[in-house]
Amino acid sequence: MSSLVPESLSPSLESFWQKTQSDTSAAPAWWQKRKAAEWEKFQSLPMPRRTDEDWRFARINSLNFDGYTEPQPIDEEGKRLLEERSLLPTEVAGVLIFINDRLVSFQAVDPKLAEKGVVWKPLSQAVEEDSDLLEKHFMSQPIELGSEKFSALHGALCKEGSLLHVPKGVEIDKPFVAYHWASGENASIFPHTLLIADEMAKVTLVDYFASADPNSRNLAIGVNDLYAGKGAKVTYLSAQNWSLNSLAFHLNSTQAFRDAFITSLNLHLGGSLARTESHSQILGENAHTEMLSLTVANGEQQFDQRTLQTHYKGHSVSDLLYKNALFDNGRTIFSGLIRVLEDAQKTDAYQTNRNLLLDPTAEANALPGLEILANDVKCSHGATTGQIDEEQLYYLLARGIPRKEAYKLLTYGFFEEVLEKLENSEIQEHFRDLIKSKFQTS
Amino acid sequence: MPTTETPEIDIKTDIGDFMYPENHTYDAGTGLSEKTIDYICDVKKEDDWIRDFRKKALKVFRDKPMPTHWASGDLNTIDFDKIRYYLAGGQKPSKSWDDVPEDVKKTFERLGIPESERKFLAGVEAQFDSEAAYSNIKEIVSKQGVIFVGSTEGLMKHPEIFRKFFGKVIPTSDNKFAALNSAVFSGGSFIYVPPGVKVSHPLQAYFRINAQNFGQFERTLIIADEGAEVTYMEGCTAPKFDTATLHSAVVELVALKGAKIQYITVQNWSSNVFNLVTKRAVAHEEAEVKWIDCNIGSRLTMKYPGVVLKGRKARGEVLSIALANDGQHQDTGAKMVHAADETTSNIISKSISVGKGRSTYRGLVSMPKHLKGCKNNTECDALLINTNSRTDTYPAITTRGQKNSVQHEASVSKVSAEQIFYMQQRGLSEGEAMSLSVNGFINDLAKHFPMEYSVELKRLIDLEMEGSVG
Amino acid sequence: MSTLEIKNLNVTVAETEILRDFSLTLPKGEVHAIMGPNGTGKSTLAKALAGHPDYEVTSGEVLLDGENVLEMEVDERARAGLFMAFQYPSEIPGVSIANFLRAARQARLGEDEELEVTKFYKEMYEKMDALKIDRKFTSRSVNDGFSGGEKKRNEILQMAMLEPKYAIMDETDSGLDIDALRIVSEGVNKLKGPHMGVLLITHYQRILNYITPDQVHVMFDGRIVKSGGKELALELEEKGYDWIKDEVAQTA
Repeated sequence: MSSLVPESLSPSLESFWQKTQSDTSAAPAWWQKRKAAEWEKFQSLPMPRRTDEDWRFARINSLNFDGYTEPQPIDEEGKRLLEERSLLPTEVAGVLIFINDRLVSFQAVDPKLAEKGVVWKPLSQAVEEDSDLLEKHFMSQPIELGSEKFSALHGALCKEGSLLHVPKGVEIDKPFVAYHWASGENASIFPHTLLIADEMAKVTLVDYFASADPNSRNLAIGVNDLYAGKGAKVTYLSAQNWSLNSLAFHLNSTQAFRDAFITSLNLHLGGSLARTESHSQILGENAHTEMLSLTVANGEQQFDQRTLQTHYKGHSVSDLLYKNALFDNGRTIFSGLIRVLEDAQKTDAYQTNRNLLLDPTAEANALPGLEILANDVKCSHGATTGQIDEEQLYYLLARGIPRKEAYKLLTYGFFEEVLEKLENSEIQEHFRDLIKSKFQTS
Repeated sequence: MPTTETPEIDIKTDIGDFMYPENHTYDAGTGLSEKTIDYICDVKKEDDWIRDFRKKALKVFRDKPMPTHWASGDLNTIDFDKIRYYLAGGQKPSKSWDDVPEDVKKTFERLGIPESERKFLAGVEAQFDSEAAYSNIKEIVSKQGVIFVGSTEGLMKHPEIFRKFFGKVIPTSDNKFAALNSAVFSGGSFIYVPPGVKVSHPLQAYFRINAQNFGQFERTLIIADEGAEVTYMEGCTAPKFDTATLHSAVVELVALKGAKIQYITVQNWSSNVFNLVTKRAVAHEEAEVKWIDCNIGSRLTMKYPGVVLKGRKARGEVLSIALANDGQHQDTGAKMVHAADETTSNIISKSISVGKGRSTYRGLVSMPKHLKGCKNNTECDALLINTNSRTDTYPAITTRGQKNSVQHEASVSKVSAEQIFYMQQRGLSEGEAMSLSVNGFINDLAKHFPMEYSVELKRLIDLEMEGSVG
Repeated sequence: MSTLEIKNLNVTVAETEILRDFSLTLPKGEVHAIMGPNGTGKSTLAKALAGHPDYEVTSGEVLLDGENVLEMEVDERARAGLFMAFQYPSEIPGVSIANFLRAARQARLGEDEELEVTKFYKEMYEKMDALKIDRKFTSRSVNDGFSGGEKKRNEILQMAMLEPKYAIMDETDSGLDIDALRIVSEGVNKLKGPHMGVLLITHYQRILNYITPDQVHVMFDGRIVKSGGKELALELEEKGYDWIKDEVAQTA
């Protein structure tokens, strides 16, 4: 571990950084400065150690950055194929498709919404045009769940992503959709999502992440920051389907102000090691956040999930449900913490982790934590790990459904509790298909 | 409704808050070095193997960092150079209270030990600072072949059993404080129950710290042979000094095939004591180990009784009650290591935080992949009395294998204002109502305690809570 | 050969013997009722026939149209045409009735055959209408949050959709009010016919007011002790089971 000093972390990332510096030489000064500071931070922070509480149970030696490099642009044919594979709901408010952190398709927002001040654009464009907004919000939420180093690498190397700003009182029912593809061996991408919903705004954003080639090795460090202003309603959905050789980080931070309602649902299917960190900050009374996650782990996959629900203000609700289905030697770590601060009386905070072990070699780890500093609260957490319910299985078999099929049905059923919360039926179906496609390969 | 003011709550931990002037023949002095160990070994006339064992442990203790990367930073306030590691009067433990030195005897009489012995115990060992002052087992029990002596005597007189199990359940390197204990241990009990013998009444040890700037490091080893059954209870108190006192015990239990061990602790150290204890059991085939752990006193307690479920169908259980008042941190929990098929474990933890008290649950449950049909159930409930009370829960659960299931649930609640109002309307004072509520919260656990102890427990948790709900 | 033939069946549960040399022949096209006091082995019979893992068959034979059922897995038995209506149907959150039935029907097709979805839904809706089950139920999870009556109707719906050769109805009438009992019975009456045998396990006579049995068997202490026509059920209703017990005691 100690051999993984920054210089040897990956020389190819070093040259990636030099390239990024020269590419951004015409960008606003604050942007250049910010990125330089992030690179410095990335270099100065140590690699995670096995003894770090934030990395408990994680296999640190799987953090191998060797060879990851700046991805190459891809040809027109490749673009066309990936655009075709970017499935979209029939009705969308806007679309961005990126391949290797380069914009390949952009469906702008309806002019009527644009008139109302809705901003939907690729990050590269926003750096030039919405500099003030970005300067205020870009990477400004606290990262404190263990991947500070990798978040800094994202800050330094990130150049694309989506900016969505919905001004006060604007309600948009159709979803915004962004696709992030990684293409080519060792291609490294750093997709960024910044969603700002002002007071009483309503918006839905969907991020899809995938490797173009299921056999390529990719590095993806994505950061998404969500802001829900007073009374805003924000729905954030994401599905990641990186190749099984990939190293992936998804670092998510949300801030919910008074009366805001945030739902996030993340579907995790790909990666050899996929680490997600989600920090939900409840900053106003009556705010409500819902954190949902579905994961299918098979083969040698490891999913490392770290969550934090911080209640700064009371009379608020946070509700977390992480469901993991594990096959083969699949391994999951769920480490969650509810933190209720002194002033956050009348908080309701819940945290549930359910693991379904479908093979005896699969391993589920659960670290469900509570830190409660206020007394008038309703807080609970539960973690269960078990197998397919024998009685349910028997009932299906008794109807003539073969065992393998029964397992599949019951596993889909295990996920339905979460999927059925999705309001958009097309996206719901798409998520369902993604889960099913994973079963086809397993 | 509850306020943030510091409540006027007085838990009756003062029962042990008295002391007698020191009267020690042997004093290893202040601070810890190889010389301290030589002194202890010379006084105890120990064999070389145990001297080597202690010295190796000292090295491990020094090499290991404080576990503050996960544990309370309060540990850093312990100054190991200012502690006295061995204090003893010099006389052998007496078999009769009449032979116990007067001040020591008075101490234990004030704590009610001889009385309990007469009433319901099969044997008693009473430790005063580093050594036992009194040790007696009822004849009817000793005739069955049950051995109940101090650890030093166990080591000298029964080496064939002692050496076989000593340090095997908890290796020296398990943690920093287990290493410290291994270096300077003195006192504690050695119990052996022969095959098939069921000891009908509990054996009890009582640990008393009388001296200031002192560290008590008792070492207990209990072996229940095949089909044997035994219940062991321990209590402890110390006067409240201005300086920190350290208590760091190591307790190892071995339940052989079909044996049952029940280990009951009522910890009521004064609020200047750092109570850093390692307790673990090995349960062989169809054996059952139950830890009943009640923590009321101390400044910081760190204690996670564990069971290694080594044989098929072994059962492990931890029932834990913690009460943290102002200035106290009860960092307690349980470890269940499943190492054989069809093993089951159960953990129930209830904590109450009063004022700025902090109670923490830490748990570890592990089921590796080669196992089948194992079950664990964990429930942690925390009750917060005041607005500034604190509770934390940090379980760690690893599950693999076939037909293994693990369930963990935790909840946090407060004493409901409606409940208090209802009881007040029936004529109870606010304090009485609160006391009833708190006792109600732990009631279903307290009833698992032997009757004598559950009465003691209720008395200890009899909170005087007038004014805490203002 | 068109029979479900149970020969000298011995079954133990958790090492306790429940069925003792139980024998019964159920021809296709007939309805046989099995009655008896509680704890006499009625439900054990149903579960053992369906292959529940907790029920161990220690000896005996069960032949479905001549095929040995005991050698089959649970799902194979079902596909061979044995249907059990459960006394306490399982709740399966997250699996909709439609998906569940589709999977069950698909499992009965050949490997290259695909279920015709439109036809399937048309048929399912017709059968639901007949059983007075709201069509919206198809998207609800199997038995999840269902009332007692809804669960039993769902069992009959499945029976209708899977068209078994032999149906074993394990106390289907228990927990039903009179309206629900009538609906369920009508459902069974519509389904029965020359292609299906029905074994109706019940504690009470009242369901036999709606479903007329060809034969009534009285079960006691793990075996059939008396058989007769439908009038036997009425006699039992009138005299209670003690009368049978006495009779058994006399012959023993």
